[in-house]
Order: sequence, then C-alpha cells, then structure tokens
Amino acid sequence: MQKILIIEDDPVIRDELSLLLTNEGYSPLAPADFTDIPAQAARYAPDLILLDINLPGQDGFSLCAKLRKLIQAPIIFVTSRDSGLDEVRALSLGGDDYITKPYSIPVLLTRIKVVLRRMGRTAAPSDIMEYGGLRLNLTKGTVSAKTRIKLKTETAVLTRNELQILACLMAHAGEIVSRTDLIETLWDNQIYIDDNTLSVNITRLRGKLARLGFPDFIKTRRGMGYQL
Amino acid sequence: MTVLEFLSDRLNSLLLQAAFASLSILFLLATGTQAGVVRLLSLVWLLSVLCIETTGFLRLRSHLQELENIMEGLDRKYLFSECIPKSRSLYERRLTELFCRAGKSMIGAVSDAQAAQKEYREYVESWVHEIKTPITAAGLICRNAEPDTRRKLSPELSQIEAHVERALFYARAESPEKDFILRRNKLSGIAAQAVGQHKALLIQSGVRVETSGLEQTVYTDGKWAAFILGQLLQNAVRYRSADSDPVIALSAKPLGKQVQLTVADNGIGIPAHELPRVFDRGFTGSNGRVRGGSTGMGLYLCRKLADCLELDLRISSAAESRSSVAGHPQPEHCPNCGVTADHNFITASGTAVTLTFPAVHSSSD
Repeated sequence: MQKILIIEDDPVIRDELSLLLTNEGYSPLAPADFTDIPAQAARYAPDLILLDINLPGQDGFSLCAKLRKLIQAPIIFVTSRDSGLDEVRALSLGGDDYITKPYSIPVLLTRIKVVLRRMGRTAAPSDIMEYGGLRLNLTKGTVSAKTRIKLKTETAVLTRNELQILACLMAHAGEIVSRTDLIETLWDNQIYIDDNTLSVNITRLRGKLARLGFPDFIKTRRGMGYQL
Repeated sequence: MTVLEFLSDRLNSLLLQAAFASLSILFLLATGTQAGVVRLLSLVWLLSVLCIETTGFLRLRSHLQELENIMEGLDRKYLFSECIPKSRSLYERRLTELFCRAGKSMIGAVSDAQAAQKEYREYVESWVHEIKTPITAAGLICRNAEPDTRRKLSPELSQIEAHVERALFYARAESPEKDFILRRNKLSGIAAQAVGQHKALLIQSGVRVETSGLEQTVYTDGKWAAFILGQLLQNAVRYRSADSDPVIALSAKPLGKQVQLTVADNGIGIPAHELPRVFDRGFTGSNGRVRGGSTGMGLYLCRKLADCLELDLRISSAAESRSSVAGHPQPEHCPNCGVTADHNFITASGTAVTLTFPAVHSSSD
C-alpha cells in the first residue's frame, strides 16, 4: 500500500482527506504537530507528500526545500493560493504538481495517480479491462469477445463516448452507476454530453454489444442507473 | 492669453492712471502751463505707459507659456506646484507656497488612497484564500453525504466558489499591479479548466457543451482566461432558452496570427439596444431584471481582465422574438461578422462572444 503524507493545518480537511485516501487504497498519515515535519517525514518514508502552503510556523515553500534535501518522494502542493507566481515558485522549489483548493476530488485523485506513476511507484494502469467475457482495450478503443459457437474472437470498434461509458461501468462492475455519476465521469474526461446524448450513446453501445453476443450486458435499473 | 484678456485684467490700474493723467492735464492747463507743453507731457506719459504695459504683457505671456510647458511635460500633473521655478514676484511666491501646501496634502491623500486600496486588495486575496479552506472541507464532507443531499449541496458549493472567485478577480483587476503570467497554453486545457469549474452547474442545467478546433496554442495566463471563459459559461447557463435544449459551443480558429475563440449559445439573447452596454459595471439589462440574480459584474470583469491580457472581447447577439433577421448579429456590434453564422444551430436566438488572443511572436517557448 502506498504511503501518502498529508501536511495540512485544517483539521477537517486533514481527517476527510485521510478518509478519502484510505478508501482509495492508500495509507495516509496526517500529522497534527508541525514542529519537525522533515524528521517526521523521513521516519515515515512516504511515497508521496501532499503539502499545504499556509502552515503555522513556516510556509510550505521553505518546508518543501527542507523536505527535498531529506527525501526523494514527490511533492504535490495543495493550496488555496492560486496566483501564477506561487505556482512557479512551488514548482521551481522541487514541487511535482500544484493543485488549488477547492479542488474537485476526482481531479485530485487522478493527479496523485499520475505523479505516482511518473515516479515509477505504480505500474502503469493496464489498458485492458475484462468483465463477464468481454475484453475492453482502452488504447485501441475496441471491445472484443470470444464467440461461443465458432470459438473465434470478434471485435467491435467503439467511439470515444462509448468507450468511456463502458470503461466506467466496468470499473464499477456489479455496482449500480447512476446516470448523473456517469455523466460526471464523462465530463471529467472532456466529453460534455447531456442526458439525452447519454441515452443515445447507451443505446448504440448496447447495439454493438448485442452484435458480439452480449445483448443484456448493460442492465437498466429503473430510477437508479445502470449496472453490468 | 490674449491682449484683450490682459487689458481687462489691468483695467482698474489703467483707468486710474488715465483719470489721474486727465486731472493733471486739467490742473496744468488751469495753472497756466502752455498747451504745447501739456501735449508733449501727455505724449511722453502715453508712450511710457504703452511701453511698460507691452513688456508686462510679453513677460507674463512667456511666463505662462513656460508654466504650460512644464504642465504638459509632467507625467503626474498633481506634482505641478513642486516643479515650477521660483518666481521673483512676492505675490506669486506666496501663491506658489500655498499651492505647494495644497498639493502636498493632495499627494498625501492620493498615496493614502493607494495604500488603502492595496491593503484592501491584499485583505480580499487573503480572505479568499482563507474561505477556500472551509469550502474544500465542505466539499470533502459533502462527498460522504447521502446522494440526495450531495446532489443538492454540490451546486450550492460551486456557486459559493464562483462568487468567491469573482471577488478575487475583481480585486485583482482593480489593482494597479497585475500579477498574471503569460505562458504557452492550449485552448483545450483552458476550456477544460473552465468547464470543470462549472461542471456541477452545467450538468444540473442539462447543458451540452460542444467543442471544436481547441487544439490551438495561445500565449496568455491560463487561470485568467479560464475565469473569463467561466463567466461566459455561467451567463450562457443563466440566460438559456426554455424552448430548446441548451447548447454551448466552444470553437476556435486561427485569424491570421491571432487565435479567435468563440463561445456561442442558443439562449434567449440580448436585445440589440442593450448590447453596447453589457460590459458596463452593474448593467443587468432587461433579461437580468426579469430573471433576477444578475449582478452586472460578470461581463464587466471579463472586459477588465481581457483588457489586462490584451484580448479582444466582442459580443454579438440575436434576441428571442425581437430580431427580424433571425440568427444574424447586428453588423455594427460584430466587425468580425460571420461568427455566429458558423454555428448553424443558432436559428432563433443566441449570444456569441469572441475572444481574440494576441498574435504569438515566436513559435518556440
């Protein structure tokens, strides 16, 4: 499990962020005592540090410089200071990323993942997803299935929208994904569609899956959303 | 200064001298001085007065001209009284002293006002940064709330965020030191940032966002540009039409060396007579009055920030049921006309705002 050190002086954010990261499968540590952060950090040996700038005693910039001397872990600045100058300063002091509060949670999680991957601390995510006999290739944008009768692999090419929808459903396989959550996920991937377009895309996706021999792969849960 | 002005200024003394001279002539004639002598004396008197007044006039004129020139050359006009040469006349010296005192108190007031404005701006900025912490905390707590509460609360939170953001940029735009950084930015990144910030609002309002041609690169401050774009998105949502599915189209195209970004919607549009005033501070227009909740600040801020970034900001619109030429903007408000015509979905009404980014001088970073 990857260890994330949260250096944040607001207790509510500290607790909620720890909870969020625990739920996401990380092992967070959020010290409430800011006396000797570099020593604490060195002892904990985190894989990633989330660092606020406005801290009691010293600011995040000088802390970043001290941390850099002791440990190699990537540092993401998470701060409410959003001026361009602060960002330049943070990055030039050895920060790996700069996120401004209030952040959207999916964005924060994605950027944590990206930084960890860039540092080689996680394997690149597989671009193949599999569920219920269907194989989704995220880079090629195709979905394929072994047909039961001829034992031959059949492949369908998906559009960008269909691909993201199917990927989102597969990532939450078995769970009910509400239409709103689905739309939000798509928007996070720069696909700005409305409710009607989602329906159209789902219908097309079902058509393609049906041709592969999976007519009822995506189930509609009336009033709740979709489920695989 | 004209001769007439000078004469009218000297009228009292001239009249007095004339009266005194006439009386002297009468006295001299009465006491038996010869008329020829009196005539000679009057001539001498007249000539000397003429001479003195002429030199006086010329001297005064050149002095005034000199002062004018000093004033012209001054960058900060209120420092004038500090810069003029010391005069030989006692009266003028005293006057200058008085004006110097007035000027000093004015300079004090100006620098006080500047300091106060700077302090206020710094306070607003730090306040905005402080308020963002509880907003972030609320967002994190909201995530764990019941889905129903979450769905209702998250748009409210992003509303708070939007208002806070406006306050921050207002403080920034009004202050003399503009701390933006011009960097190489992809339009798609700026658009994603703006749309991401208003995601909750856009999704909740059922808006579809179409993008095209956003792979252009521009030199600008990404945050400022995203803020401007965000204001335009919010406006498009607020003034969407009830009759049709709301669509916002973000499209960009190169315009010579410049890049033109168009934000077009199919909303209710703006009446033609209100168009010239939409960028005024506090102008809400008939749409704003009918719907309420308009502050008249959004577009004003856009214009201010666009001016700082040297973006050319233009708006064109066709209002619902008012315009006889459907879907075509008024030519006088849209010199780059043809923009809305590109978007064939605008059939009845809508607004298009174009942002023209300045030319990129070098292609390398």
